[in-house]
Amino acid sequence: MKTVIHMLITLTIIGVISGALLSQLSGWAAPKIAAHRKAETEKAIFLVQPNADSYEKIETVDFELYKVFDENKEAIGYALPYEGNGFQGKIRLMVGVKYDLNELVGLEVLEQVETPGLGTKVTEEPFTSQFNKLIADPNVEWVKGAEPSNPNEIQTITGATISSKAIVQIVNQGLDKLRASLKTGGEL
Amino acid sequence: MELVLIFFSAAIVNNFVLSYFLGICPFIGVSGKISSAFSMGLATTFVMSITSIVTWLIYHLVLVPNNLDFLQYVSFILVIASLVQFVEMFIKKISQPLYRALGIFLPLITTNCAILGLALFIVLKEYSFIEGIVYGLGAGAGFTLAITLMAGIREELDLADVPKSFQGAPITLLVAGILALAFMGFAGLISG
Amino acid sequence: MSKKATLAREYVKGLWEQNAVFRQVLGMCPTLAVTVSAINGIAMALATTFVLVFSSVIISSIRKLIPSQVRIASYIVVIATFVTIVDLVMKAQFPELSKALGPYIPLIVVNCLILGRQEAFSSKNPVFRSFLDALGMGTGFLVALFLLGGIREIFGNRTLLGLQILPNFYEPWLVMILPAGAFLTLGLMMGFFNTMSQRKKRLEHQTIIQQHLKPQKPALASDGEAN
Repeated sequence: MKTVIHMLITLTIIGVISGALLSQLSGWAAPKIAAHRKAETEKAIFLVQPNADSYEKIETVDFELYKVFDENKEAIGYALPYEGNGFQGKIRLMVGVKYDLNELVGLEVLEQVETPGLGTKVTEEPFTSQFNKLIADPNVEWVKGAEPSNPNEIQTITGATISSKAIVQIVNQGLDKLRASLKTGGEL
Repeated sequence: MELVLIFFSAAIVNNFVLSYFLGICPFIGVSGKISSAFSMGLATTFVMSITSIVTWLIYHLVLVPNNLDFLQYVSFILVIASLVQFVEMFIKKISQPLYRALGIFLPLITTNCAILGLALFIVLKEYSFIEGIVYGLGAGAGFTLAITLMAGIREELDLADVPKSFQGAPITLLVAGILALAFMGFAGLISG
Repeated sequence: MSKKATLAREYVKGLWEQNAVFRQVLGMCPTLAVTVSAINGIAMALATTFVLVFSSVIISSIRKLIPSQVRIASYIVVIATFVTIVDLVMKAQFPELSKALGPYIPLIVVNCLILGRQEAFSSKNPVFRSFLDALGMGTGFLVALFLLGGIREIFGNRTLLGLQILPNFYEPWLVMILPAGAFLTLGLMMGFFNTMSQRKKRLEHQTIIQQHLKPQKPALASDGEAN
């Protein structure tokens, strides 16, 4: 019985000290971590919307969405973080699109676990810049091994066809979702 | 459909052992014989499924509502350690044959990084309760697959003339490397 | 030699003789997972060393207060606390690095190296010795992770610590930065080091044999050692 009490007391003391220490530290770290996260999102928004001057988060939809404005406070488009399945796991994108949703402005890959050196090429130039001024109505399409002939087409990367297709698919799904909620929710 | 994807993604495409490097210690240490490797795999799968349930509940019902996020690692590892103890006692009570088959592997499981890794990945990937369980089962199946395959190869390796300096861990790692290459062939399955 | 090892020995033994990775095959998950580049390896090893050193000091200083039935549980709590500290500090101060190492920082908790040292050393030895032992093991871990990360980075990405080492006409071996490359590189390195130490042992044996054959001429024996 005595040992049991001794055991319990020791564990409790260790637990309490550890908990107290960690709660202090997390009080210090949490705001910093939140700030980093916010800065990261902000950076991505301005990357995919180079003409944007400010942005605001839209709270009325059930997914993450940012509306961006130019210096005259005129809404010029949306920045939409969206994710889907890639070659080996989730790919998370930030898609920049014009206000009328017909034309893309930019694309940034936020997270991916594609094959290094092959699939990861979708995060780099010249692949990502293909999405600049790309017509997105009705859908983005891909071509393989040839120059794109239509304004809504991009060329897949040799050796990373599945990753390239996955990106196109995620962009289309994201835009569909955005269009659907614009239809039901009216002006956002 | 989504659940099937999660299962195969955890079991094959992103195999815990061969692409996340989780559970390497037993992988190198235990996988000498197919039968014991398979038992080890089953015991791990069993603990993994219970872990995914319990840690999910703790994280979403206790830690998040009380803003105790920072206690995540401490509480997860304690839960896993006591869970393993509990499972061991439970199996001993209900089935002696099962205990003889799995018992000796259970203490090893506490320090198997695959278990804690599983609990952390479920939080990281923001899985729902059901998805978490399926992910746990998939990860367990993947671990069993990898460790049993490895045991099969090592039984054959015993007959091969491996240079003295490569016996043991080095040759196991080399074989694991080739297995990992083979498993890369499964990538792309999940994107459909 | 005295019965107790010298203090310097407690540190030095972890560097090579009992190197955690190459000799004891401990702490494999982080070793293999994060070593796609030298800098990741260094960061991981530093984080691990921090946790190891602090856990060892704490556990060594309270070793007489912990009942043996709950010692593993107590060790785990202490280790997990320090891991959380590392994780929070890294997330707050070095977000890039924390992202690169991802979920492998929390997995330091189950790094068998750390729990192993507590059970095998800190729980039985005074504080300063445990400190040196932990620091030595950590340094050895750092050496191993740097070597592995460096080799994989050079062959897989042409660079070392971000600086280009190999010329552009060299086509990077992608396999080196894939999971398979981690297994292959570590396997080959271990085999190589085993070969080296076996050769050294053979040479030492020869020296001893020669010494016994010609006990009058010690000069020859030292020649044999040099060969």
